[in-house]
Order: sequence, then structure tokens, then C-alpha cells
Amino acid sequence: MKNYAIEREKWSEFLKRIAQKENIYAPFMREKNIEYLHVNADNADSIEYHIAKPTSSVKIFFFPIKENVVKNALEKRQIIIGVPACDLASLNLMDKIFLDEDFLDPYYQKRREETILIGNDCYEITDSCHCTAYDIAPYPTKNYDINLASHEEKIYLSVNSEKGEKFFDSIKNGDFQEIDSLPDAIDMKRMKTAEKVKKQNKQLPELDSTRKLVLEDHEKVWKKFAKTCVSCGACSAICPTCHCFLLLDKENFEKIKNWDTCQYPSFEKVAAGEDPLRRLYDRLKNRYLCKFVHKPDMFGEIACTGCGRCIDACIGEINKNELIIELSNC
Amino acid sequence: MKNIYEPLKFKLDKVVEESPLIKTFFLTPDEDFTFKTGQFVEVTIDGTGEAPYTPSSSAWVKDKMEITIMKAGYVTEKMHKMKGGEILGIRGPFGRGYPIDKFYDNEILILGGGVGIAPLRCLILTMLEEEEKFKKIDICFGAKTPPDFIYKDWYKELGDHKRVNLLRSVDKADDSWDETEGLVTVLLDKVKTDFSKVMAVVCGPPIMMKFGTFRLLELGVKEENIYLSMEKNMSCGLGKCGHCAMGNYFVCKDGPVFTYAEIKDYPNIWI
Repeated sequence: MKNYAIEREKWSEFLKRIAQKENIYAPFMREKNIEYLHVNADNADSIEYHIAKPTSSVKIFFFPIKENVVKNALEKRQIIIGVPACDLASLNLMDKIFLDEDFLDPYYQKRREETILIGNDCYEITDSCHCTAYDIAPYPTKNYDINLASHEEKIYLSVNSEKGEKFFDSIKNGDFQEIDSLPDAIDMKRMKTAEKVKKQNKQLPELDSTRKLVLEDHEKVWKKFAKTCVSCGACSAICPTCHCFLLLDKENFEKIKNWDTCQYPSFEKVAAGEDPLRRLYDRLKNRYLCKFVHKPDMFGEIACTGCGRCIDACIGEINKNELIIELSNC
Repeated sequence: MKNIYEPLKFKLDKVVEESPLIKTFFLTPDEDFTFKTGQFVEVTIDGTGEAPYTPSSSAWVKDKMEITIMKAGYVTEKMHKMKGGEILGIRGPFGRGYPIDKFYDNEILILGGGVGIAPLRCLILTMLEEEEKFKKIDICFGAKTPPDFIYKDWYKELGDHKRVNLLRSVDKADDSWDETEGLVTVLLDKVKTDFSKVMAVVCGPPIMMKFGTFRLLELGVKEENIYLSMEKNMSCGLGKCGHCAMGNYFVCKDGPVFTYAEIKDYPNIWI
């Protein structure tokens, strides 16, 4: 892996310059939320680096909310800056679903191929962050092309993939200085973040026990937590691994791939009227079974990366971690 | 590159009414279309919607396809208004069908009810192309009333096949009916076969599949020899959209045909 250092100011200038030609997205503060927005010469200085997570997960770049999957022209290259490790971890599962060799999704594939992922270390965390509980570090360890770390007045880039190297070689200038390794201070910052995440999740059961807990009955707990659920589906919309969709029909046999979720009533309802998920608490539980049992069994991949967005997004204030802890106390 | 979301075009040649709620649609594909018996296709009504069906014609026929459809929702309602000449979209075939090679040299027992007879017709027609490869085919079909039986002209011809033993029942008989009256499961008591070895296939309404399976188990049929065609809300057919998830399976990709042994431990399989 090649590492480079650049002065913050020079990095900003560099970004402004390449933003004129490239399609770049990065996290920005927008009212109360942090959202991925298009980077241009005017806003490049206010990119939010090293935050816990943007409100939306990185899946929006590969699996848009709504997409015409018969007629749309395929996308051109996009560069995403500031992808947190929890989102990068989600790509293991998403790739297995959409790049399944039996049924390759050409839209997802093209977007994945045409995207340069620039991950970044998390130096800030929020109350809902719990990646370490599921053995994911709060700094990128996989699925990224380039990683961005920073310390004092410098930005450090680590090029991780062939695609990242090719891209970086094509745009770098003399302001980037190749270095042997990242400064120790970066390691320290990473460890400090990891410790903070671990500390706030001491009570949270590990992955194996979580699997067992959601498989058990505990109907009372599910009913209790489902009381405030309004089936809005926000938890799925912001989840980096929720992949369910509905195909909607347009004239001329066009199809729209539109996000859907098992949290909506009638998601599994069949023509004859039977609906295995007709009860609200069964739908709530289904989401946890999917994340901690079925997806790991089917794909050998974890389907909860501990990003905590479902906790932040829930208008019924259902706290996933409190639910799991309550199950463990039964 | 083939786009998994884009349907092939089929021309609707004619529509035949089977019963008040059920019609058969005769289709011709733009180019030859192959599928395995038990697999399903997604049928698109242009601009309206898409729904999953199992063909009811033989899997040996590549230039024609028949699909029998019960009126149940907005897509099927629109289909039932079609007269012929329309263009339909078809995606597929999808999923795992019946393991015909495992059926060779065995006694086969087929239990079907209502519109569930449609996929079984595909299986039976496909098997009869090489009838000599099966020891015996016992068929038990049921419907609510005599007019509810689909494929009215088929049974005489079917019963004439050397290795076929056809039994039929209706829940409620009328004066025209001289066969069995009662739920389709009562026909199982009339079947003479080695239940410990027979390969059983069940397709029909959920309640019939449930009690049919339980009766077969009582008669000594092995869990791994009972093949069930599961109805779930298959949408994409590709193991991606999640609508047909059943425990650790996507019914569209891992099914729709499962043995009872494969799915018996999941809750809610019959609803």
C-alpha cells in the first residue's frame, strides 16, 4: 500500500481543481443532518471529514431510492469521499446480493465499477455507534480504494486497490509526498476512537449471543418495543445493508426498482391473502432475524455493521441496542 | 449483456375460460423459451404490474406456453379482461423446479387442488412424454364443486394413460358428479402404493397443502420425499428484492419447489 501526505490547504486546492472535471460527493452539514452532496469549488473547504457517519449510507450511490432498470443510461464515474468503515463493511453483503453470478444486476455492477471509494477514519462518534461490537473497526480496513486520515495540518492518503492506484496516479500532482507509513499519531487516534465506541457498548451482547437471542421467542419484548413502531420504514431506508425493493411497471415494459421494506404492511402478502408478516411485532422481529440469522446463514456475511442509523432514524424511538440488551436480560 | 429486469415479449394467442374465476392464456414467445417443470415466470402486463406464475403446459414445448391464472388481484383482473392479440412481458424462468431425475423408476403420487392443478398439469404432461420411465403415477385431484375443476376435457385422456391412476373428488357434489365427494385428502386412502418409497408432490391452496402433507406423513411418506410448491410474494425472481424470504431461503431462487424436510422447521410456512 502506498501512502501520501499533503498539506490541508493544498488538498483543498487540489479538490477544487479536480471537482471541475470529476463527479465528486462528500459529507456536508445541511441543516441538522450530514448529507452526501456534490463537491464543487465553492464548498470543497467545508467537507465534514472523520465524522461518525453521514445520515444516508453509501448504498444510495449503488442502489438509488428509485431507478429505471430497463431504460436508464448507466452512470459515469463517481468519487465518494468520506465513507465510514461501517458502510464499507456493508458492501460485502450488498455485492453478494447484487453481483450474484446467477443474476448479475447490471446497474449495480456498473455503478460499483465506476465508483472510487475514498474511505476515512472516524475520529468522532455518536451515541448510536457500535461497530466494534460486531468486530468492525472505526477506520477502513476493507472495500476501499483510498483511505483518508488526518493529523494536525496534514491529510494522509493510503491507496489500497488497483483501481484506486490507477485513479490516483492519473490525478496526483507534486503536492503529494510519498511516505513509508502513516504517523503513529494516526494509530493513536484510531485506537482512541475504537476505545470510545467499545466503552459506550459494554453491555451490548456479541454477535453470536445476539443471534441466539433473536432466535428465541421473547414475544413480550418484541411486543413492547413494537408498541411505538409506525411501520414508516426509516430503519430500512438508512440501513447500509437493507436491500429489499419493489419492481414498479411503466409503459413499454419499463421497470422501476424502488426501495421497499419488510416493515411495511403487506410486504410478504400473497395474492390469495395470506401474510406471514401481518403482525407489527413480527415485522419488527423479522428485520432482526434477517440481520443476525438469515443473512449470515445465507451469505456468510454480517448484515448489521453497527452504524446505529436505525436508532437515530426511528421516530418511535425504538433503540435497537436497548432491545438486544433487554432480550439478554430475559 | 442480458438485462435481468427486462422482459421478453410473448404474444397472447387466445384465452380459454376454465371456471368462473380461472382462465388459461395461450402464448407464443418471440423466440424459443425453455424452462424446467416447476419453475415459474414473471408475467408483465405492460404499464400495470408483474406477478409470478408457473406454466401449465409441457416443459418439452419451446415455441408455445400456457399459463392458467386465477383472478385474485389487480394484475390478474386486467389479464382476465384480455381477449387475445395482446403482447405480454415474461421474465424467467426462475427457481428450482421438480427433480424429475429423482422421480425416474419410482412410484409417484400427485396431490392437487383448485388452481394448484395448473403447475401439476405441467409436471404431468412433462412426465408423460417419457411415461415408461416412471413405475406408476397416482393422481389425486380435488375442487370445491364440479364446475370448479379446471381443464375439463383433459381428465378422460389423462385417465387412459397406462401408468396413470386418476382419482378426483369435490368438496360438494351435484347431480352430475359420480366420483368421490369429500376433501381431496380422502382420495389418499384409495391409493395403492408403497408409501414408504413413493415420491409425493403437493400443490394447492395453503390449507390443502398443510393437511395433505400431514396425511401423507401419517401414511408413512418420508419428509424428504414430499415436494411442495410454495406460494410466496415473488417479485424480482432473482434473490434480491426480499419479498419471498422464508427463513434462510429466497423462495424465488431456492424454491419454489421444496421438500417438506427442507422447510418444516420454519414458522408460518402454510400462511
